[in-house]
Amino acid sequence: MEPRDLKPESFLQYPPGAQKFAAANLDVLRAMPLTLLPLVLRQLVRYDWSFPAEQQQLKSQFDWLKQRDSTTLTAVMALFSAIPLSSELRRGDWLNHPQRFSELMTAEFWSTNRIDAYHAAAQKYQQDLDRAFDPAVPAVPRLTIVVVGKNTQSDRTVLFRKLMPHGTLFTHVDSAEGLEEISKTVKARAQEQSQKYAHWYIDGGELYEGLKSSDGVTATSYGKLVPAAMREFALMKQLTRNQTVGVEAVTSYVAGLSPDDLGLRGTDADATLRYFETSLLTEGAGCQIFSTTFVQWAARECLRRAQPLTLLARYGTRQELASMEQLLSRDPRQQAQDAEGSLVDADMGAYYTWIYQSRLSGADKSSFLAWSEESNMAIAIAPSIPRGKTSAGVCSMKQLLEWIR
Amino acid sequence: MDYLHQIAQQRALTRRDFLRSAAVAGAGRRLFGFAPLQALAPAAGQKTVVVTFGGGARDEETFAPEGQENIPHLLNELIPQATFFTQVVNRGILGHYVATASLATGIYERFDNFADVSPKNPTVFEYFRKGLKRPANDAWVIAPSNGFNRIGQSDGSLISTGYGARVILPKRMLASALGKGAAQSAGLEAILQDNYENLLYTPPAINTDANLALLTDLLHLSVDDFAHHAKTLSSADELSVFVMRQLMKQFAPSLLWITLHDMDVAHTGAYSLYIDGIRRTDRLCADIWAMIESDPEYKDRTTMLILPDFGRDSDFTPGGNGFQHHRTGDPLSRTTWMMALGPHIRHNVTVDRPLDSLDLVPTLGALMNFQTPLAQGKLISEVL
Repeated sequence: MEPRDLKPESFLQYPPGAQKFAAANLDVLRAMPLTLLPLVLRQLVRYDWSFPAEQQQLKSQFDWLKQRDSTTLTAVMALFSAIPLSSELRRGDWLNHPQRFSELMTAEFWSTNRIDAYHAAAQKYQQDLDRAFDPAVPAVPRLTIVVVGKNTQSDRTVLFRKLMPHGTLFTHVDSAEGLEEISKTVKARAQEQSQKYAHWYIDGGELYEGLKSSDGVTATSYGKLVPAAMREFALMKQLTRNQTVGVEAVTSYVAGLSPDDLGLRGTDADATLRYFETSLLTEGAGCQIFSTTFVQWAARECLRRAQPLTLLARYGTRQELASMEQLLSRDPRQQAQDAEGSLVDADMGAYYTWIYQSRLSGADKSSFLAWSEESNMAIAIAPSIPRGKTSAGVCSMKQLLEWIR
Repeated sequence: MDYLHQIAQQRALTRRDFLRSAAVAGAGRRLFGFAPLQALAPAAGQKTVVVTFGGGARDEETFAPEGQENIPHLLNELIPQATFFTQVVNRGILGHYVATASLATGIYERFDNFADVSPKNPTVFEYFRKGLKRPANDAWVIAPSNGFNRIGQSDGSLISTGYGARVILPKRMLASALGKGAAQSAGLEAILQDNYENLLYTPPAINTDANLALLTDLLHLSVDDFAHHAKTLSSADELSVFVMRQLMKQFAPSLLWITLHDMDVAHTGAYSLYIDGIRRTDRLCADIWAMIESDPEYKDRTTMLILPDFGRDSDFTPGGNGFQHHRTGDPLSRTTWMMALGPHIRHNVTVDRPLDSLDLVPTLGALMNFQTPLAQGKLISEVL
């Protein structure tokens, strides 16, 4: 089957929303070369569980493509069309298993030295789309808060060095009520702007009581997902126990796991969150075994996919390193913790979270705060905050949050 | 100039600036230009030690100002004695086994990184042994056990078989020793750490008895002594260097290749563990050079080349996740460096011209006087 042969009924294995979307955009899908189409189908196949921001992005992309004449459309996809695929790969089930097909395709591009051309094609395509339509400006400036250092009192790690050039370092923050003040701010923003999945709280341990079940705040935590991660490892072991299974096959198997497979159950109303949590565990590396990796990866994926107005990411401590066999079989919450290492991880994670927020629309008006909850340090980055400065004056968390509004 | 080369050039110049800013600049007055040749000509019976990092390290954590605290030994002890190449570009597949195999064959190998296969093209070890008619114990590879067991010898389709290097996998050897009940494994978990990139990767089966025979017959170590010594070490790479010391003592091989792997723990996403791996590797590189300098079989006749197989993803490549992986193929993940030390190597010299990863094999051939007919790449004249 070739993309030009696609019909509405080709998508019968897709969820209802995705079927409808495909039927409405069939001409564009048919025009896509096979080197591009699986990437789009990967988004489409999970359309029904995508965040509103993702659905809107996909719709805008297709609306723009539909309005192009065939010459322009051909030009936009020209770099993809120029990359040949083996006939064996072309016979694969790219329609119903786009994820698996993409992995095989990438492997082929690496082995045939076409990976750079593929990356170049993807970059140009994205640039064309970026130029074509402006992303939606957020209703209010985004705010991201990263809290590091829980259960860690250390003066060995110099915090926020990578963030310092971009904001002001506050060295005497009165940390009393700090978390409470942050919670109040998150809740207030959720009440003011009530869009679904616009306000997030991610925790590397158990959820903070003050934000545990707040209206309008989507919350997830490492503590909640450890059983699902352990279930994932058990299923992988089961798969590999009695047979030699290649890396690609394991990857595909894991990518196909559903929330139910991992024991994540709920209602239709929270299906999007459960699928997101599943994707964190099935697409991420290390986030299953180390809570610090979990927070960094979850914050990255949350910013990339949900594009929230508010994000609070709070790091805890991670377990100490052990052999992979042990890491894959034991409960990470019951092990000795590496507090100093966790602080270093969290510090880098805060920097990455700022980078990922900076990629979103409205970045020039966004605010960012990273705070070490058991020391007096915080760094604030916002349009109203000077860059590369240090403030030794005493301030409260409440004041800091007001200054970066 | 293509895009990759432009980026590599920028990176090289930045790396030169990084070096200029380091304390090492004061230690060597001729760091930034060719000095009059003060070294000796290559001696007869020259030996070569190649140290590769099977887990790339980025400039941010090494040669950049904020990273220099992680590599005090490279900066303060080794670079003042070395010729430093600021840009080595890897155009191949960015998987550790296949990339290291490409370094060893001088041709970009194209096999599946996780497959249990030999390189297609002849390895430098085969060229060396066949060309110079050297015995099996004169070429050794010490490698992490994640698939490297076949790196010593090609598949035989392009060169007659039987000339490969002996490959030693210290972690597998230790696992075999522990399996024989020589010691309890408690406390050895970190040393037995294997593959970081794919959680359930199962290395190909290795014959336990063969491992133990290697240990006792060739290295003259008792199983108990080996296991007990392992308990004094803190990582798999330390175990590899310990085994290297034994090999040097027993056989003094002329061509010795060691791949260090600790820093690849970055794949777990724990930045602190990645930094720990870099710091350990930095110290071990200095230890290896000290071993060479203090061993009469090696002193004043050994060239040591240190190079990562490739880099890691940039913080700013949207498709990646920063230091954690090396999947995007972005220019920074393909651009790295090389350091050369030895009696005929100029001290305190920085070379900015771009090298290709493939240049290593023909250069080793020229250094040690054997032919490498199928290897691609060009001679690195600055080390000859």
